[in-house]
Amino acid sequence: MPILDVGYRNWEGQRTPRWTRAAIVASTGIHLVWQGTWLKRVLLFMVVPAAVAAFIVGTFEQTIERPQARSVLQGTFRSPAVKQAAKAREIDLAKVLDEPETLRHFSWSYVLFGLLRYPQSIGMIVLIGLVAPRLISYDLRSRGYLLYLSRPLTPLEYVLGKAGVVYFLLFMMSAVPALLVYIVGLFLSTDPWAISHTWDLPLRILAAALVLILPTTAVALALSSLTQESRFAGFAWFAIWVLGSIAFRILWAAEQARNGGFGPRGRRMRMEELESFTSWMLLSPYDTLGNVQQQIFGLIPKEASAWSPWVLLAAVSIIGYTIAYRRVAGMLKA
Amino acid sequence: MLERSELIQSLEPILEVEGIHKSYRVHRVLRNINLTLPPGVVGLLGPNGSGKSTLIKAILGLVSVDSGRGRILQFSWPEQSRALRDQIGYLPEDDCYLQGLQGIESIQMMARLSGLHRTEALRRSHEVADLCDLDQERYRNVETYSIGMRQKLKFAQALVHDPQWLILDEPTTGLDPSQREQFLSRIDTLAKEKGKSILLSTHILHDVQRVCDHVVILAKGEIRLVDTLARLQQPTQAGLQVGLISDAERFMAALAQVGVQSRRTGETEIQVLGDGPEILKRIWSTSCETGISIHRIDRARNSLEQAFLDAIRDSGRLNTGDPTAIGNNVSLPEYK
Repeated sequence: MPILDVGYRNWEGQRTPRWTRAAIVASTGIHLVWQGTWLKRVLLFMVVPAAVAAFIVGTFEQTIERPQARSVLQGTFRSPAVKQAAKAREIDLAKVLDEPETLRHFSWSYVLFGLLRYPQSIGMIVLIGLVAPRLISYDLRSRGYLLYLSRPLTPLEYVLGKAGVVYFLLFMMSAVPALLVYIVGLFLSTDPWAISHTWDLPLRILAAALVLILPTTAVALALSSLTQESRFAGFAWFAIWVLGSIAFRILWAAEQARNGGFGPRGRRMRMEELESFTSWMLLSPYDTLGNVQQQIFGLIPKEASAWSPWVLLAAVSIIGYTIAYRRVAGMLKA
Repeated sequence: MLERSELIQSLEPILEVEGIHKSYRVHRVLRNINLTLPPGVVGLLGPNGSGKSTLIKAILGLVSVDSGRGRILQFSWPEQSRALRDQIGYLPEDDCYLQGLQGIESIQMMARLSGLHRTEALRRSHEVADLCDLDQERYRNVETYSIGMRQKLKFAQALVHDPQWLILDEPTTGLDPSQREQFLSRIDTLAKEKGKSILLSTHILHDVQRVCDHVVILAKGEIRLVDTLARLQQPTQAGLQVGLISDAERFMAALAQVGVQSRRTGETEIQVLGDGPEILKRIWSTSCETGISIHRIDRARNSLEQAFLDAIRDSGRLNTGDPTAIGNNVSLPEYK
């Protein structure tokens, strides 16, 4: 039964600017992926680490306010990772207990980096693995790209629109929780100088999120565009992260063993050593991203900072977007 | 009084392109396409692989051409093909849909991609969904649609932004006879009452005969024929189409004996040269003498099918882009 049977009527109205059309591809994509229950669960689950991080920042602020609580702070100084990070910032941990507010920037950076590096990055791998493989591959299978491109939309805008879906999700699960942690930290601090001590952290969060978002989206879209079967793209996505990480750890351990880094009984790999840059790290997207984010938060000494992870991420981004673009543009010739 | 096709021909053309060449590596798909299309409904005919879809995609700017230029609607082509797509509604031949979206969401999204604001897009989507008989199915996900439903959906998507020109690539594929008739009737209404120009690419000659004013025949990447449907169906000589109950050969022989030339055009169909009262009288008297009953007599028309077959034959190649020459070049079997 018709709903509004008025026959065919001509339409005359103001059209939206053409540059907004890619945003419609993105909003449609977000609408589609939002229908998945797993996506909502993963996003909800990602709030937990942010709450923990906010709790840690709040606790730190309390140690500043209450000298009797500084033993908590002192306890964290035993961590080798904290020691290395403090060394990078040329912070003397023995002296800071008298003036713990000088440690505020470092502490917040460390917590925020930890949030982005571990729970959010791992969550990102899972979430994008669930969502991104179908973004282009579904359109290739159902030839939906023809519908998009028959409108004033170029293949590049189409790819950007699809990328917008991943950008949005990654921003929501990386930058937004970290920024919320920062804001909560400001609210929990009674020190009016907290903002002036930490004003650059939102920018660092955005930069770290950008470094996470751009290359991972490029890889996800490239994989999605290479097949009409989203499960193949999903499998390739997880394989890249898992196999890359395993390969890095094996080769790193082998190198350590060859250089006599392990004792006769061997020893467990320590996280802070894994964070130090070696060429093998480039095999692992997860660790390469972590290293760059660590540099962004200033948690690596300048002399130990390497440019090759940056170059790799830039190259991966360019190659990924190019593959996705060429695949979509090429489909029109079929 | 001017016929509709003649009237249309006097209007400003909606498409004027020349020198279109397109190759995929060594395979030449379009060869020196020079084409001028008037407004109205134009049927684009051609066998499979003749380059129809490539020509349409080239017009839309979806594939780049090796050479060629022109003007489509008010836009320079191919430079402004992106802006042109705002004014064209395209129904692709392929079975394409946006998985996961409801029918109505799918139409709304296409409207928004063509620049309609969200609310306006929703309103228009329901209007065209009603027009295309997408009743409550509009709330179902498109991947659950039958092929016929998807054709209706694609038509609604092509129409939702009120384009000046509709390009319909095999639009009646998958429709049952009644749906097909409704669809053609919709095309007819849009063209005649709403002034829409339509390019109908198909290999179903009946669809072309039913709704088109003009016909373009493409074969092996070349334009073989451009003419009005009326002129194509006009016989080169006056004649009558006679439908018999049986034995066409004996009837033709009997006609020849009374000095009437005829030729066979079907199992029980013959075409008689001339259409005066004297000819009619001889036909009826032959029927009486031979005892072969006549079930119809019509003024003879050339069949589009014959014109199509002649045009796509290599030997029957016609002067490209010379509409005046075409009607006379359609060859038919000789009278005897």
